[in-house]
Amino acid sequence: MISNIIPGLIMILTSFLLPTIPQYFRQPAMLLSVGLSALSLFNGYGTFLEWDVLGLNLILYQSDSLTFPFSIIFHIAAVLVIIFSWHSKNLMEHMATLAYAGSAIGALHAGDFFSLFIWWEATALTSVFIVFAGNTKSARDAAMRYLIIQVSSGVLLLIGACLLLYQTGNHNLTVLDLTTDFGIFIFIAFGIKAAFPFLNGWLQDSYPESSVTGTVALSAFTTKLAIYALARTFPGTDSLIWIGAIMTAFPVFFAVIENDLRRVLSFSLNNQLGFMVVGIGIGTELSLNGTVAHAFVHIIYKALLFMSMGAVLYRAGTTKASELGGLYKYMPFTTIFCIIGAMSISAFPLFSGFVAKSLIMSSLGGMGMVLIYFVLFFASAGVLEHSGIKIPYFAFFAHERKSKVKEAPINMLIAMGIAAFLCIGIGVFPKYLYLILPYTVEYQPYTIDHVISQLQLLVFAIIAFLFLVKFKLYPSEIKSTVLNSDWFYRKMLPGIGKPLFKKIGLLTEFIYENLRFFFRLILNKSHKFSNSSYIKVTTPSFAATILISILFIMLLIVLL
Amino acid sequence: MKKNDLTSMGKSFTKYILIIGALLILLDFTFHRHEYFSFAEIYGFPAFFGFISFVFIVLLGKWLRKFLMRKEDYYDQ
Repeated sequence: MISNIIPGLIMILTSFLLPTIPQYFRQPAMLLSVGLSALSLFNGYGTFLEWDVLGLNLILYQSDSLTFPFSIIFHIAAVLVIIFSWHSKNLMEHMATLAYAGSAIGALHAGDFFSLFIWWEATALTSVFIVFAGNTKSARDAAMRYLIIQVSSGVLLLIGACLLLYQTGNHNLTVLDLTTDFGIFIFIAFGIKAAFPFLNGWLQDSYPESSVTGTVALSAFTTKLAIYALARTFPGTDSLIWIGAIMTAFPVFFAVIENDLRRVLSFSLNNQLGFMVVGIGIGTELSLNGTVAHAFVHIIYKALLFMSMGAVLYRAGTTKASELGGLYKYMPFTTIFCIIGAMSISAFPLFSGFVAKSLIMSSLGGMGMVLIYFVLFFASAGVLEHSGIKIPYFAFFAHERKSKVKEAPINMLIAMGIAAFLCIGIGVFPKYLYLILPYTVEYQPYTIDHVISQLQLLVFAIIAFLFLVKFKLYPSEIKSTVLNSDWFYRKMLPGIGKPLFKKIGLLTEFIYENLRFFFRLILNKSHKFSNSSYIKVTTPSFAATILISILFIMLLIVLL
Repeated sequence: MKKNDLTSMGKSFTKYILIIGALLILLDFTFHRHEYFSFAEIYGFPAFFGFISFVFIVLLGKWLRKFLMRKEDYYDQ
């Protein structure tokens, strides 16, 4: 019976019931619903629920070796978020978070493009309330922009799905390519949510605006759902290799100069997605395993980093690097957890990032793609810079803090502790992660060559950091806004649009004025004409004169 | 807690990192490091690459501030 229920649906239904549940039982109820949804993981692979509607066969619940690891990690992420936000009394955010996680899990199990579209939009509509719950003016503005972009992605997906059905008569999730028009529509729809270069503005715009706990929820689902969708429909698409490589390298420079540490993490999230996109682009079993493994570990350490910055925001009231520093004395546990997250994302051996990124790097190396390999190697130094060093350094060290703050609440510490445990656990015992990957591949990440090579890269990058700080070359924290691709629709389009519409308004007014003048002229002339003594005999009235003159003008126009 | 806590921590951290770095370079001479690309097998190549990349990223980022940095209330104006 339970095997026919779409995973995640029970979480959405529970979220609707939350207002009726007394506050102290809300979080347990949320955890229970995640647990019930997670029972679906034991169903095995296959198609479990189909629905014939409007002559279409919708596959609402299917699972296979690709959905399985994503489903596990989405459930884990939901649990982490619920524990992390245990202290919060914000009902709207709890409801939105639970429904959002449920929608994302539901989307994983959709077997055709139309059901995927429904869940795709559901994740947009639920997550926008999380941004909204940031409850500042800038958060509300960002939420509206976020909604427009997310829904546009859904509309593109729907157009693609309709074209696909119309042209091929098939709407099931299959491998597509970019030679077809529906392929391109769907590719861009996924690309928006996967934050491709120049389609990424929404991510850095909205995530840092949401609440202490909201960002943690946001960071886990939408983008990784897009990665899953790309891995399912566009594996081995060459252009993804280049797109991914650009995604790994570009955000690095923005992250260096960004002042808001949660925004730095958003740039870093973008860079991490790049690694996964490269893995999809290569399209071999090893690289796709790498993408899935990377998405899996990334969700945990990125959540851990966002949780640590959430705790900082909760206690110190800001995540601006220019106003932080020295928190290690007051928040020692948060500091340690943050450093574990930072070492995981930087891919230190024995941490989870290492065992996942190695798969992608090895598949690149095996294919002989020297340029892309070194772009990613370079980007790894970049990850160390912004996530490995900048985040912990500016939040917890940098300089002494004058005012005292308290350590994070116990529920936050528990959530961070679980995430940190998983980061190290996966790093030390990677075989358990490799077991759940889509393809069975024998792979050993801990070879002496690989470990030494990675350690040299990281340790000398740290030495470079110390060197730059020592010689005062490291850019100081400055209160500022860093321009990103959302500039195009936040500044450039209004910048062109507003004056343009103003000009158009002036022009229509000018034309209208002239037309009125012209008609007055005709009116006056015909008035005079009809009143003149020699015409009175033949012209019956003033109205007739006007009619005649209009007819005359029309005749002229026709003749011309 | 004294005021120079952070500086002393920074100093000992620097010391250990430099020792580890030196060890890693020395280790490179003790065995042949297999890489996918032969030029990456040069002694200390990843170390050199890491150092240069990091400096390049930071300095280019700093230079990009000229073009990308605006006031904090830029979008509210």
